[in-house]
Amino acid sequence: MADASTANPPCINVSNVVKTYRRGVDEVRALRGLTCQIPQGRLSFIVGPSGSGKSSLLYLLGGLDRPDSGDISVFGRPLTEFTHRERDEFRRREVGFIFQNFNLLGNLSAVDNVLVPFLPQGISADLRRQAVELLTQVGLAKRLDHRPNQLSGGEQQRVAIARALLKRPLLVLGDEPTGELDSTSGAEIYRHLRQLRDQHGSTIVVVTHDRSHIEPGDFVLTIRDGTLKTD
Amino acid sequence: MFPFAFRNLLSRPLRSALALCGLTVAIAGMVGLFSVAEGIQDTVQSTFGKMPGLVIIQPGAPIPLFSRLPADWDAELRSVEGVHVVHPEVWARAHLVEGKAAISPPRFLFGSDLERADQLLFSIYREKIVAGRYLTAEDRTTLHCVISKGIAEEHQCTVGDTLKVDGKLLEIVGIYDTKSLFLDVAIIIDIALAREMGKVGTDTVCNFYVEPQAAVRYADIADRINALLANRGPGAWQPTLDQALDLAGDNPALKSLAPLAKAALAAGGESKPPQTSPGEAPIEVRSPEDWSDQVQQFTADLDLFLAIMTTIGITIAFVGIVNTMLMSVSERIIEFGILKANGWSSGNVLTLIGCESALLGLGGGVLGAFVGWVATHAVNARFPTRIHLYASPKLLVASLLFSCVLGMLAGLYPALRAARMAPMEAIRRG
Ligand SMILES: Nc1ncnc2c1ncn2[C@@H]1O[C@H](COP(=O)(O)OP(=O)(O)OP(=O)(O)O)[C@@H](O)[C@H]1O
Ligand SMILES: [Mg+2]
Repeated sequence: MADASTANPPCINVSNVVKTYRRGVDEVRALRGLTCQIPQGRLSFIVGPSGSGKSSLLYLLGGLDRPDSGDISVFGRPLTEFTHRERDEFRRREVGFIFQNFNLLGNLSAVDNVLVPFLPQGISADLRRQAVELLTQVGLAKRLDHRPNQLSGGEQQRVAIARALLKRPLLVLGDEPTGELDSTSGAEIYRHLRQLRDQHGSTIVVVTHDRSHIEPGDFVLTIRDGTLKTD
Repeated sequence: MFPFAFRNLLSRPLRSALALCGLTVAIAGMVGLFSVAEGIQDTVQSTFGKMPGLVIIQPGAPIPLFSRLPADWDAELRSVEGVHVVHPEVWARAHLVEGKAAISPPRFLFGSDLERADQLLFSIYREKIVAGRYLTAEDRTTLHCVISKGIAEEHQCTVGDTLKVDGKLLEIVGIYDTKSLFLDVAIIIDIALAREMGKVGTDTVCNFYVEPQAAVRYADIADRINALLANRGPGAWQPTLDQALDLAGDNPALKSLAPLAKAALAAGGESKPPQTSPGEAPIEVRSPEDWSDQVQQFTADLDLFLAIMTTIGITIAFVGIVNTMLMSVSERIIEFGILKANGWSSGNVLTLIGCESALLGLGGGVLGAFVGWVATHAVNARFPTRIHLYASPKLLVASLLFSCVLGMLAGLYPALRAARMAPMEAIRRG
C-alpha cells in the first residue's frame, strides 16, 4: 500500500465520487464528489444526518452499485474499472454485508442462513463446521437449527454477522446493523464485531446514526450533503 | 442447489401445490388422449402379430365382411406352390344375440371350414381357448359354436349353455380369449351354418385365409397368387346402400380395423360372387403388414387430432406455471437481492429458479403420468369389450420429460427477470 509507515494503511481509496439517482425527471445527488480514505483492519464508522448519502457510499464500496464518476479502489484494486462480472466476483469473495433489517431467509435455519453464500457451490462438511463455529463465537451455539422467526432481533443480526464472516472477507460492511436493536443488544453486536475483527483481521465499515458505540481507537468519517465533512 | 430449490417449494406449499395440480391435470390429459391412439395401435399389433397368414379378399373391400369371392378358387389356391392350407371363411353380422341388438360392441358370425381349420398350424382362436374346446371337423353340420370370454360374460353363459343368435340356438362348446378388441367379437361356427345364417351362397366365400408353408415368404406367395388370378379379379368392391349404411352407422374406426370381424350382409336374398371381369384389378392379397399400414394411416390422423387437443391443454397449464413462477419471483425479489448481496451471481439465481420450476415440472410429470396411467386402466376395466386404452412406457416417459421441459421453459422468463434485477433495487425495497 502507498502509506506503509502508519499502523493502519488505507485499504479503501475513494476519490471524487459522484452518485446521482434518477427517478423520472427528479434527480437526487446523493454523493457530490466525495473523497476519503478508510484504514485497514479497523472498525470504521460512517456517520451523518439522514439522507446525507451514507448508505449510498457503503453500497458503492461493496460493489453492489457503481458511481457516475470518480474512482474507488479497495486493497489496491480499481473497483470502478471492474466489469459487471468482476464486480459480482469481488462481492462474492471479498465482501460481507450486514443490513439493518438482517435480511435472513425465513425458510432456512440459522446454520443454513450462514451457509447461504456457498449454496451454489455446494456445502462441505468442513464449511458447515466453520459455520457452527462462527455461530458459537457469537453466542448462538444453542440456536443452530432455529428459523429467523424463532430468534430475537439481536440474535438474527448475530446470524447475519456470522454469514458475513464465513467467507473470511477482507471487508465487512454494515448498514445500521444495530438500527433495529435496543442498546444492550446493540452493544453486544459491536462487542462481537470487534472480537471478530481482532480474530480475523477484517476491515469493518459501519454506517450508523448512533455515535454511542464509537470507541477511542475507531476511525470516524462524517458525511454531510454527499461530501466529507471535515471538522 | 436442488435441495435448496426443493425447500423453497416446500416453504410455499399452497402455491407449489396449485402449480403442480395444473401440470398434473395437463400431463394426465395428454397421457389419456394419446393412450387412445396407442390403444388402437396396440390392439392392431396384438391382432396382426398373431395372424401368420395372408388374407385374400375382394379388392377395395375394407374388411372381409363385405368381400365376396368365388368359392371354387379354393382348389386353385391350394395348388399354388408354397401354400400349406387354404381356409375359406364366411363372415356375417350377428344382429340379435340373446334377444339383444348387438351394435356396440358388434358381434360377428365367423364361419370356418372346420376340416381345413384342423390343418392350420396356427389358428389364433384355437390358441386362445380358455374353457371347453375349439371346433373340429367333427362339429361340421352341428350348431356348435365357440365364443369369446367377453360374449360369455355379457350374456352370462358358459360351456354347455346355449346362445340364441338371430333365431338359432347355438350350443357353446368352447370359450376363447384373445384379449384383442377386434378379434373377441367373433362367434365361431361351421361355415355351412354361417352361409345359411348370413344368406351367403355355397358358391361364395368372403375371403380365403392362406397359411404358407414354413420358411416361405409372404411376398412370394402373394406374387404367385396375383399371377394366377390376374385378369380374373371379381371387380372392385362397391358398397351397396345397405353396406354403406352399415359402415357409417357403426364405429368406423373399429370397422375399418376389424380384419376378421366381419360378416356377410343380411340384405335380402343370397349374395352371389361378383362376376369375373377380365382386365380389372386382380384380387387383393393382404399380409399382416398391409393391415397394419392401413391402421397406421388412421392412427396418424388420430394422433394429429389428439396433438391439437393436447396442445390446448398444455398451453393452459403452461400459462398457469408462468403465472405461478412470475408471482413467486416478484414476491421474492428481496430474497434474490439478499442472495446477490451475499455473493450469488445472476447465473446462480437463474439456476435456482430453473431448478425450482424443473422440480415442479418433474413432480407434475410423475403425478400426471401416474394419474393418466391409472385412468387408462380404470377405463379399460370399466369397459373391457368396448375400448382399449394403452399408455405405453414410451408415452409415459415422453410425457414426463415433456413436463420437465415445460416446467423449465415456464420458469425461464421469470428467472431472467429476477436475475437481471440489480441487488441494490431489491435491498432498497426491503
Ligand atoms: N434508489 C433511489 N432513487 C432515488 N433516490 C434515492 C435512491 N436511493 C437513495 N436516494 C436518495 O439519495 C439520498 C441519499 O440516500 P442514502 O440512502 O445514501 O442516505 P443515508 O445517509 O443512508 O440516509 P439514512 O441515514 O436515512 O439511511 C437520499 O436523499 C435518498 O432519498
Ligand atoms: Mg441509509
